[in-house]
Amino acid sequence: MASRSLGVLWGFPIVFLFHLKVIICLCALWWKKCAGTRCRLLFGMDEPLTILHVDMDAFYASVEVRDAPELAGLPVAVGGRSDSRGVIAAASYEARAFGVRSAMPTSIAERLCPDLVLLAPSFEKYTRVSRTIMEIFRRYTPIVEPLSLDEAFLDVSGCERLHGDAIEIGRAIRRDILKETSLIASIGVAPTKFLAKLASDLDKPDGFRVIQRDEIRTVLDPLAVDKIFGVGRSTAKRLGSLGVHTIGQLASLEREDVVERFGSLGAWIHDLAHGIDPRRVTPRRPEKSHGMERTYAEDIEDRELLKRHLYEYCEEVSFALRERGLQGKTISVKARFSNFKTITRSKTMDRHTNLGARIYATARELFERVPPGALRLLGVQITTLEDVRTAHQGSLFGEPDLPTSEPSAAKPFEPGEPLRASKGTKEQRLMRAMKGADKLRKKYGKRILAPGALVDREKG
Amino acid sequence: MKILCNREQLREGLSIVSSVIPSKSTRPAIENVCLVATENALELVGTDLEVAIRYRIDDVKVAETGTLLVSARVANDFVRDLTEETVTIDSTSGNCVITSGGDHAELVTVDSDEFPVVARFQDENSFPILAGTFSKQVSRTVFAAAREPGRYAMHGVLIEVEDSQLRLVATDGRRLAVTNTLLDCPEGTSKRSIVPTKGLQPFTRILTDPMARVRIAFDEAQFALKTDNAEIFARLIDGEFPKYSQVVPPEGACKVELDASLLISKLRLVSTVTSADARAVRLAFAEDHLQIVAKAAGRGEATAQMVANYQGKDVDIVFNPDFLIDGLKQCESDTVHFEFTDRTSPGKFQLGQGYIYVVMPITIDA
Repeated sequence: MASRSLGVLWGFPIVFLFHLKVIICLCALWWKKCAGTRCRLLFGMDEPLTILHVDMDAFYASVEVRDAPELAGLPVAVGGRSDSRGVIAAASYEARAFGVRSAMPTSIAERLCPDLVLLAPSFEKYTRVSRTIMEIFRRYTPIVEPLSLDEAFLDVSGCERLHGDAIEIGRAIRRDILKETSLIASIGVAPTKFLAKLASDLDKPDGFRVIQRDEIRTVLDPLAVDKIFGVGRSTAKRLGSLGVHTIGQLASLEREDVVERFGSLGAWIHDLAHGIDPRRVTPRRPEKSHGMERTYAEDIEDRELLKRHLYEYCEEVSFALRERGLQGKTISVKARFSNFKTITRSKTMDRHTNLGARIYATARELFERVPPGALRLLGVQITTLEDVRTAHQGSLFGEPDLPTSEPSAAKPFEPGEPLRASKGTKEQRLMRAMKGADKLRKKYGKRILAPGALVDREKG
Repeated sequence: MKILCNREQLREGLSIVSSVIPSKSTRPAIENVCLVATENALELVGTDLEVAIRYRIDDVKVAETGTLLVSARVANDFVRDLTEETVTIDSTSGNCVITSGGDHAELVTVDSDEFPVVARFQDENSFPILAGTFSKQVSRTVFAAAREPGRYAMHGVLIEVEDSQLRLVATDGRRLAVTNTLLDCPEGTSKRSIVPTKGLQPFTRILTDPMARVRIAFDEAQFALKTDNAEIFARLIDGEFPKYSQVVPPEGACKVELDASLLISKLRLVSTVTSADARAVRLAFAEDHLQIVAKAAGRGEATAQMVANYQGKDVDIVFNPDFLIDGLKQCESDTVHFEFTDRTSPGKFQLGQGYIYVVMPITIDA
């Protein structure tokens, strides 16, 4: 009796719910287009299988091998030369078999693998390939969070009707990447970011791994604790001293105990050990800083030469800022002496800028505060970034730190007077000039234009 | 010294002089008020080394002349709460004894030699002006002076005499207030001084009667004002005031008359949605009306409409509403005349006779 009336009660809602679901999905699709990340809220916290982690296999090395097929099968690494204290940026799987790892000094890598084919990195090429890959991702979902040139998180919730479920999308992406770049990607599909990243790593290279919600425990339990994001060498050691070596052991501990021992990190790693990861895929993580630093093949003591390098970095950084439509306010200069003593000096400017000359003006000031001595590393970084389109309160008297020979921008032109091409402050005019210069740089390469102060060296 | 004076007059004098006396100083002597009893008057002197005030009480019975230094804060607080009609101050015993009816305080005095020398107002080279006129010029401008650290000279009000005009100018680099009034001075007189904003406040404090005739004087190092019973001196800012006359727009392409109080209320209304770090409202003028729009990311949007006798093509300009309201509050007539040229050039408000307020708009680069 009761069950029959329940059946009647349920019949209508099921039909109704089905229609509702279609409507919600359509709404979601539309909403996704305009709003992105909000979509997952619609589906609540049951965390469907929608997150992909795509990681290119030995990216730099694979790109090099692709462009020089005769290297296929050889242990290849991309990095700086050992005689200039270089480090390995990427190693092919053949090289990895010898124990060569990225971030390893090249001298050690060559000792491990005497036949190592060492190639100089060409980042412009990798950036180009990276762009193609990111474009492929965006064909399937707007929610792409790049982690580096060759790695990204994707959230495909709401895209199922267009491209199929997450697994189908993952396979399609892998196929597209192979077809369009001849490179191989490893993909992990899971309900959370942590699990997706773990999954892509499990079957590497050429991996495609899905972790369903119900197999979390079987996958996680046997893994070493240091697979958890946030568990580094020291935390792993401390966990090890408690007899905790696998994720399963960590998960079986009481949450309170872990929090007591490890603080907020404890809560975080305990959650991850249970597959709980509230982080969303955020397509536009606001950038917080931009910088450039170089370790020199030989320590440099010549202040003039160092300043030139610094200017060069400032130009590079300013170009990167302009490309991203950003400007920054705080400049830091970092210097490492021969004895590895490292110092940084920073200063916040009166206003935001993305002009190389302005950044250098402050960086040089900071560099003057670096004591003399041979440097093995010099770099510049700019922080306190904002969008260039941020509204600015105009100034009546122009900027005090950038005097202009022209009347200030605030001064209106006389009625009837023709508008001069040079209207605006010195800074505004420089900005306009930079727009043109950047176009040239994009078309002919960054080396096509350089400030006069750097030109001689470029020739020599 | 030994004197008898009216309690209310003493209270008023101490309160005015104390307004400049610092409560804590690296030079402790100036934390005191200096009382000077002459044949027929008591003078109260206080200074923070930037501003100095002499305040004279005439209606005093002096039994014994003399000078004494006593803590300004304690004397001020004690005298303020006295209730009897008269007060006697007696330092013949060495301490400062203040007596009023049955109330009595014996305060420790400080050696008066440690007190800095405060100048006397020189009548020659000074110019007469109505007290009310001068304080109005100050309140017309002082709000526009800079408060945040930055260009030092902008932390003061420029006071200058030129072509028989007294002109006060204040700016923080983003808005500028200029006011002019006639000054009775010999032809060809030209004076110029920058008075710290903080130093100008006590000036208006001693100008209690707007119809009183006072005198102002320009000195190389200070600006001074004298009333019937008080003299005040402010040390000048030694700096270069921005060339303000260059930034006052001659005549804008767009001109409009607006109801000043209505504009203030509409600006307040709309700016409620803006956030503290992004204060901006868009004034969009179209034939016969003005639309005021404010938007803030993550908050929302607000719009207000008002009638405006605007003629011409649709134009808009963005301002910080606080800057506009600051100026409009000073507007002396019902309607304000506003003109501007384009969205990157300053807007000019005519707020009264000889009173101009210029505000730089907010622009979006790129």
